[in-house]
Formats: sequence, structure tokens, C-alpha cells
Amino acid sequence: MFDRDTDGVRIELRALTKHYPGQPAPAVDNITMDIPAGELVVFVGPSGCGKTTTMKMINRLVEPTSGEIRIGGKDVLSLDPDELRRHIGYAIQQVGLFPHLTVAQNIGLVPKLLGWPQAKIDARVEELLALVSLEPSTFRGRYPRQLSGGQQQRVGVARALAADPPVMLMDEPFGATDPITREHLQNEFVRLQKQLRKTIIFVTHDFEEAIKLGDRIAVLREGSHIAQYDTPAAILSDPADDYVAGFIGQDATLKRLALVRVSDVPIADPLPDAALPQVTGDASLREALDVMLAHGSDRCGTPSGVLTYAALCAAVGSRPEKEVSEGVMSGGEVR
Amino acid sequence: MSFGEYVISRWDTLSLAAAEHALVVAIAIALAALIGVGVGILGHGSPRVRETSIAAAAAILTVPSLALMTLLIPLTGLGWGSTLISLTVYAFLPIIRNTVTGLRGLDAATVEAGRGMGLSRLRLLAQVQLPLAWPLILTGIRISTQMIIGIAAIAAFVDGPGLGNQIFEGLSRLGSVNSLNATLAGTLGVVVIAVLFDLFFFAVRHLTTPRGLRVRP
Repeated sequence: MFDRDTDGVRIELRALTKHYPGQPAPAVDNITMDIPAGELVVFVGPSGCGKTTTMKMINRLVEPTSGEIRIGGKDVLSLDPDELRRHIGYAIQQVGLFPHLTVAQNIGLVPKLLGWPQAKIDARVEELLALVSLEPSTFRGRYPRQLSGGQQQRVGVARALAADPPVMLMDEPFGATDPITREHLQNEFVRLQKQLRKTIIFVTHDFEEAIKLGDRIAVLREGSHIAQYDTPAAILSDPADDYVAGFIGQDATLKRLALVRVSDVPIADPLPDAALPQVTGDASLREALDVMLAHGSDRCGTPSGVLTYAALCAAVGSRPEKEVSEGVMSGGEVR
Repeated sequence: MSFGEYVISRWDTLSLAAAEHALVVAIAIALAALIGVGVGILGHGSPRVRETSIAAAAAILTVPSLALMTLLIPLTGLGWGSTLISLTVYAFLPIIRNTVTGLRGLDAATVEAGRGMGLSRLRLLAQVQLPLAWPLILTGIRISTQMIIGIAAIAAFVDGPGLGNQIFEGLSRLGSVNSLNATLAGTLGVVVIAVLFDLFFFAVRHLTTPRGLRVRP
């Protein structure tokens, strides 16, 4: 349906506006933005800021009042809405699985609408269940009521991916789960998106989630006005204004540390030191700092060498104060 | 003559009356279900259709059955016609109301997910909304059936089919030979038909409720 190149499709919003009749101000006011192909863009903002409305205009569950939407160069508003939606994955917070259909039937619904042969649908269901870490032979025949909240969310994501759509719209798809399950689902989703490279619009009000998942973050304010649209690292190190800074909270630097992995930082000493507290290469710098604090040390061992406090500071673009670092290094009291 | 002897000696008449009673109820409920579910589907999307149809169906129920059947005589004559029409319209309210309630009570997320996946309105209705609302719709049909099985006895007054003839004929000559037996046979016959219909709906409910709605977590 959309012209895909190897990197997927790009989404362009042009002067997109939604004004509900009888309301003084538009819910979405003249938003223009480009979502690059194969990237995950997070819309983050307070509830009622118009982020969900903006997203729903892309698959036309909400019809725009004016403006233009292009997906892979195609004018979305000229397409048949039902046909359009079959080519856009859609996952929502309440999941909305069909309780009278099995997991396999739920996932296979859109492929069936698109006229896939049954054998291909069955194979796709297997593949997707495995992808979202649900054992196909166990879960294929179950009904949604027999699944836990986290399992339902996984099936919801699998269903949205079913027909391999180049574009996915996700509205707080992990919102309704407990913090532990949510973190687990987020981690899996990051892994998944690395493989799939779909163009994804992800709506959330949780800034931590935005940092964790987004290639880019659009911080939105009332009326879906863009306060800042940039990479997580750029937003954290250089928030556009007080509104964005307020969203980030007090610990912007710690959040930036969380974005960088230990293996991405140049190490001071290439010789591994088994006597130091150890972190893995996959751990974030925030975790490395945590380990250092826990052990009262200014360095920790990584698989490829030794990571120092100074290297952490350099990674977020600051310099350690001399006295502090000396104090820590000598193992003595810090003033 | 004892009651048992009466039933045996009049078995042909009684069984024919009972069969006609059941038949007129079955036809009326089928018509009412077709029309009522249709109106309910229209009504779940449109507040105006919903309010008007439920108000009208409720108003019909306030008309005494004997009056309605008599009023229909000039239009549809004596017998089956008037009986069928009045039974059908009496059955509307529970069916329309349960259809509307069933469809409106569905989880909004389920409907939104269906729309978002590209199901057309018609497909969504046929494949998702109606199957999920079905248990409630069926309950409406079942309540209506129980209601009109009783009302069908009144049809005897407009020369309609059914066990009403036994009951009212017996009552009209109370004290004479076999009058009590006739009334009793007609009344018990109505009870038996009501029980049989209920068993039928119990089985239908069991066979047609989607398995996913019956499973326990």
C-alpha cells in the first residue's frame, strides 16, 4: 500500500488541525512534523494535550479538520479508511483483545482480512508469538480471559504487528501493567524494534518511558504544540524551555547517564581488574555509577577494562571537581 | 371422569391445541427477534431511534392483550392473523432493550481496537459486537417468550389457536361435566410448553455462547 524503501516509510504531518465543533480551542492546532522512516518517535505530554488525538488522525480514527498527512509519500486522506488501517499497526493501553476469539484468531484477524492463505496465517501467528516471548503451543489456543495483563499486552503488540505493517501507532501500550512487567515489556520492545525498524509513533505521558524507547521525543504542550522535538540526549542536555525542563525533572544528568552504555565509553585502563566491582558492557552508565557509589569506589571493572568516575563525567560533558575526585581516589573523607 | 381419563380421551384435541399454541409462539418470537434485534442494532448507534423504539415498545405493553387483539379484528380478522401480530409486538420490549444494552455495554477498547485494525462497521458488528452481546440478546428473547406464552392463551377470545380455548371454555361452563378438567388441562399444558421453551433456550444458550466467554481465567 505504501511505497517502502529498505528503511520503511516516512510520515509527514502538515499543518494538521482538529477542531471539535463547539469547543473554543482546537484540540490539535496546526502541527507540522516529520517522522523519519524506521524511527520510533514518542509523543509525550500531559493528559489532554492532544497527543492521542494527533496519533489517531494518522489512522483516521479521528478525521482531521484541516491539514495533510502523508505516509511513504501517499496522501492518507485520499485512501479508504478501513483499507488504510489494515496497513497500520495499532496497539492501545486497554489492549482490546476480542474475548470470543482465541489468541491465534486475534492475531490472525488482519492477515485474514487481507486475504492471506490460512497456512501463511498460521505460520505468522507462530512467528509472532515466539517474537513476543509467548510459547506458541501453549498460548495459540487460549482465550484472552485466560491471560494475565502482561500476556494480553504482548498479544496486543503481536496483533498490531500481524500483517507486518510498515507503520505502528501505539498509545501507552504498556500503561496498564505493573511496574515490573512494564519494564520487562519495554526492554523486550526495545530489542524488538532494533530488529524490525518500523516507523512507530508511541504516545505516553511517562518521560522515563519516552527516554528509554524513543529515537526521538516530541514534547507536546496544550493543543499539540511542539515544545521540543529532538533526540532524548539532546532534550536532556539542552531543554528548549522551562516547560520541557519541568517535564524532565531534577535528575536530567542521571537520565542522560542511563542512555549511554558502558561499552560505548572509552576506558581509562584497558587491563581488566578483577579486584574492582564489576559491571557488564551492556549496563548503562547510571548502573555503573550506582555500583561505584555502592562500593565507595571511583572506578569499576568492565569486561574490557576499567571505567573511572572521570570517564562518566566526560560522557555527559562535565569535569569532576579536583578536590572531590582526589578525595574519592585516596579513599579518604570527602569534604 | 378423572383428570387422567379426561386427558387420555381428549388427547387428539389437546395435543393439537398445544402444538398450535407452541407454533404461534414460535413464529411470533422469531418475527419479534428479527425485527427487535434489527431495531436494537439501529438504536445502539442512534439515541433517537433508541428512545423512540423503547418508548413505543413499552407503550404497547400497557395495552391490555384482549383489547389489542380485539382492536386488530377489523384489520386482520379473527384467528391466526390478529394473534400473531399482537404476540409479536408484545415481545418487542425485552428484545430491543437487551440488544441495545448488550451492544452499548461492550468494552469500548474492544470496539476501538477493531476499528483501528481496519474492520468495517458492518464486519465489526457481525464478527465482534453481536457475538459478544449475544448472551444478553438471547436472554431478552427468552424473557419475551415466557411472556407471550401466557398471553397466547387470551387468543381464544379472537378465535385464535392454542390452549386458551380449553381454559376459557371450561371456565365459561364451570360446574358442568368436565369443565374443571378442561380448564386444568389447558393451564397445565401452558405450563408444560413454558418449561419446554425454557429448556430449549437453555440448550441454545449453551451451544451458541462463544467459548471464549465461558472459559474461566
